[in-house]
Amino acid sequence: MSRIIELFPFITILLLLIFGAFLTPLIKKKSSIVRTNIAINIITMMMNLVTLVYVNNYGTFIFKFGHYGSPFGIIFHIGPVEVAIAMMFSFVITMVSWYSFYSIEKEIEEKRVGFYYILNSLLLASLLGIVYTYDVFNGYVFLELSTLAACGIIIVKDKKENIKAAIKYLMLSTLGSGLVLMGIAFIYSISGHLSMEYIHEAIVASSLAKENLLLISIVLFSIGLGIKSAMFPMHVWLPDAHTTAPSPSSAILSGLVIKAPVIFLIKIYYVVYGFEFVNSSRILQLMLIFGGTGMIMGSLFARRQKYLKRLIAYSSVAQMGYIFFGIGLGNELGLIMAIYHILAHGLTKSSLFLSAGSFIEQTGFKKIEDFKGIGKEMPVTLGIFTLSALSLIGIPVLPGFISKWNLALASIDSGMIYLLIVILLSSLLNAVYYFPIIINGYFGEDNLDGKVFKSKSKPIKELIPVILLTLAMIAIGFMSGPVIEFIRSGIYM
Amino acid sequence: MKNILVILPLILPIISAVAISSSKIIKDKYLKLFVAAVVFLNFAFIVNANIFSDLEIIHVITVNEFLDIYFHIDQLGKLFSYMAGFLWILTSFYSFEYMKHEGKERRYYVFFILTFAMIMGISYSGNLFTLYIYYELLTLSTFPLVIHADSKEALQSGKKYIIYSFVGATFIIFGMMILFSISGNMNFIGGGIKGIGEYSDKTLLLISFLSMFLGFGVKAAMVPFHSWLPAAMVAPTPVSALLHAVAVVKSGIFALTRMTYYIYGPMLIKELNGDDYLIPLVIATIVMGSIIALHQDHLKKRLAYSTISQLGYIILGILMLNPNGLAGALMHMINHAFIKITLFFVVGSITYMTGKKYIHEINGLGKHMNKSFIAFFIASVSLVGIPPTNGFVSKWMLGLGAMEANQVLYIVILLFSAFLTAAYLFPVVIAGFFRRGDDEKEGDRKELDPPRLMMVPIIMLSVIIILLGLFPNLVINFIDVIIVDVF
Repeated sequence: MSRIIELFPFITILLLLIFGAFLTPLIKKKSSIVRTNIAINIITMMMNLVTLVYVNNYGTFIFKFGHYGSPFGIIFHIGPVEVAIAMMFSFVITMVSWYSFYSIEKEIEEKRVGFYYILNSLLLASLLGIVYTYDVFNGYVFLELSTLAACGIIIVKDKKENIKAAIKYLMLSTLGSGLVLMGIAFIYSISGHLSMEYIHEAIVASSLAKENLLLISIVLFSIGLGIKSAMFPMHVWLPDAHTTAPSPSSAILSGLVIKAPVIFLIKIYYVVYGFEFVNSSRILQLMLIFGGTGMIMGSLFARRQKYLKRLIAYSSVAQMGYIFFGIGLGNELGLIMAIYHILAHGLTKSSLFLSAGSFIEQTGFKKIEDFKGIGKEMPVTLGIFTLSALSLIGIPVLPGFISKWNLALASIDSGMIYLLIVILLSSLLNAVYYFPIIINGYFGEDNLDGKVFKSKSKPIKELIPVILLTLAMIAIGFMSGPVIEFIRSGIYM
Repeated sequence: MKNILVILPLILPIISAVAISSSKIIKDKYLKLFVAAVVFLNFAFIVNANIFSDLEIIHVITVNEFLDIYFHIDQLGKLFSYMAGFLWILTSFYSFEYMKHEGKERRYYVFFILTFAMIMGISYSGNLFTLYIYYELLTLSTFPLVIHADSKEALQSGKKYIIYSFVGATFIIFGMMILFSISGNMNFIGGGIKGIGEYSDKTLLLISFLSMFLGFGVKAAMVPFHSWLPAAMVAPTPVSALLHAVAVVKSGIFALTRMTYYIYGPMLIKELNGDDYLIPLVIATIVMGSIIALHQDHLKKRLAYSTISQLGYIILGILMLNPNGLAGALMHMINHAFIKITLFFVVGSITYMTGKKYIHEINGLGKHMNKSFIAFFIASVSLVGIPPTNGFVSKWMLGLGAMEANQVLYIVILLFSAFLTAAYLFPVVIAGFFRRGDDEKEGDRKELDPPRLMMVPIIMLSVIIILLGLFPNLVINFIDVIIVDVF
């Protein structure tokens, strides 16, 4: 039995790729495509859950393709971090597909609905691949695949602005991929391997001689993957892409697509280069600076936005800052919190985007000032929005608070107390731009003048996926202790 | 089973608030009845919980040593919960009448009851983290009360309130982060956490103490973080009364007491000289509050600045770091609650009955609102500190504390501010009783005392003010247990 479970990660990817992406286009009836894909998503989620339980009980395992071990074959490394992330990914995508089942037709043309679901499956497969793989080139291939699929779910709306945004994304992303590819070329030339563990051995064996080459390659990886995951100065593509995409796509893009490269980067740091080299190379200080400025600047930009989705997109830039900040602290707790924040933010941001999407869909407005008094019309949806926003602001026990708290402890651990100011300032800024939306939504007499009060609430069954996402978010906050311990057991350093 | 009984006062208001929020569950005509039942029942639960609190600790969620939400009822918590529970009953009866002219009653009662739960959480929390959670939730649950009028001005003030509160929370969390990294433990223990004094980096301890003190000082309206309080006067009068008397500012005071005496401990703070940095701010709070109050024509604003000044007394008592000082501070916390809620209720009655809000408008009103103005007079006398009222007792204790701390300066300030208190409160009484109104004819006498639902709480409170002045031992004996615990 256990042998079968060890096949699950591979099966899920295969299922998504072959059935979800390549065979469903052959189905003629559109509604069957949608149903098949949602079914596949649910199966993937279930299998990931089983894998999660399996890893929790029996520990990490390695999946070898075609029974060839590395360095000849490609291997998947399935440990606590990988399954936790994979579980989050598949859960979010399932919820988003469920949500879009009711509403996607309102945003994209009907003939493209099937296409949208196919791209979702392709995207999930590639993201899972990035998370699982222990082979740099294999990771690169999955990374490219995810970029293309992500472009697809932006363009699927087929408006002028979408195409513009997608081209911008594609250009910058290609630049990022190019840098990653160059990085791979460098380390391949040094070590002669593509498998992460073997590269590491080769590097350890000959580190002093080729230190500069290693330094160049690690910078290439950092910047390349930084572009893909919207690290602060390289974030310019993100607001356009995430704003113009259909709301379910925005949820996926913000929740998942920018997270997978971070996992890849963490693996490259600690599995390929190893703690000693990374720590001595000062690359982490760079991460810390980029992360810290991202936390502040992302929020400052968000504060000035007039469009709701754009605000949330900039908030993502700030939240990615937390993740890079955690990595940049260079201690165990920092790295754990980076991964925890990936989970937390994935859930939070997707429910934020979906609830914002519901506002836009039901009212037809896009600007923040038009959403005054929305709480009277859509109280449940704004309630969900509020909970997620409170998490980002850092109200205790919600996951955003847990991340901030532990990041602060990690900063104190590494002797940099002044970093607390960055964390606290950033959470204050979050409050500054989320509170007005909530307050004007629920309160204020002026905000309600001249409006007709009829409920625009969505039927509750259409909101269930968003509610589930929010519940998962709350759960991950309340159970942060076990979650953090679980991540700690599989941390790479 | 006993556990559940003890945390009932925390749960009941939340459930009731949810019930009230739906007009299907609680029909309009039963609304007030239900609210009355809830506050009475909850007071009964509080009494029950306080009596059966031999249960040491009630854990709600324990994730790890940090994320540990639990309740622990000690003497200080009992004191605070009794006070809050009692004043909540009086305020709710007062609101039944008063809120008729403010409208949106359902929304008001939802958050009114919800805030009750938050206050109970604050008084029963067993560690700093739990306290902090409830403290944040208190901000969120009182915010709709502050902006009840929904006017532009109200929203503006509400914004100010929430920004100040969150800046304060940021200071608190900064201090908590440093504290936790030092001690790894934030449970309240009388006299301070064990071993915290042995930590070598005293500067870091001092930073965390000051940061937290300033953070909690925001809700306690300490200068320079006081200006949200006068702005929040746009709220309906029962809300202002409650915010001032118990809910918000006193939770700030309560939290300050908790962190000073139950986390750091008076010995450590003396060693760090933590009080030296804060005393100037506190003195500024006392003097400045009084002086600004002198110039306010708006009745509620005058009372608001008076609150700022009086809170300064309490914080001063806390920072004296000696038994008499703390006893005086806690006494004054209770006494000021009773006094200030009376003053606000009377001012609210004036506004409710006549629509007048400014001092220059109330000339001669005392003849028509005899009982109300007598109550106002009693409360003013007490706030100035003239025997036989309760204000005298607490100021006496504070004076003793100042002597014990060898600070004549404190006594001078206390007396000076008492003089100012008289100067800003008595004109109201004088205007009411002795000035002749502008449009008044001889022998013209209307009965303007408010309806019974508002009048009875006012009279009860005035009686309590005098009773606590005559028999202060009731409270003193209660507080003595706390003093013994922390010193």
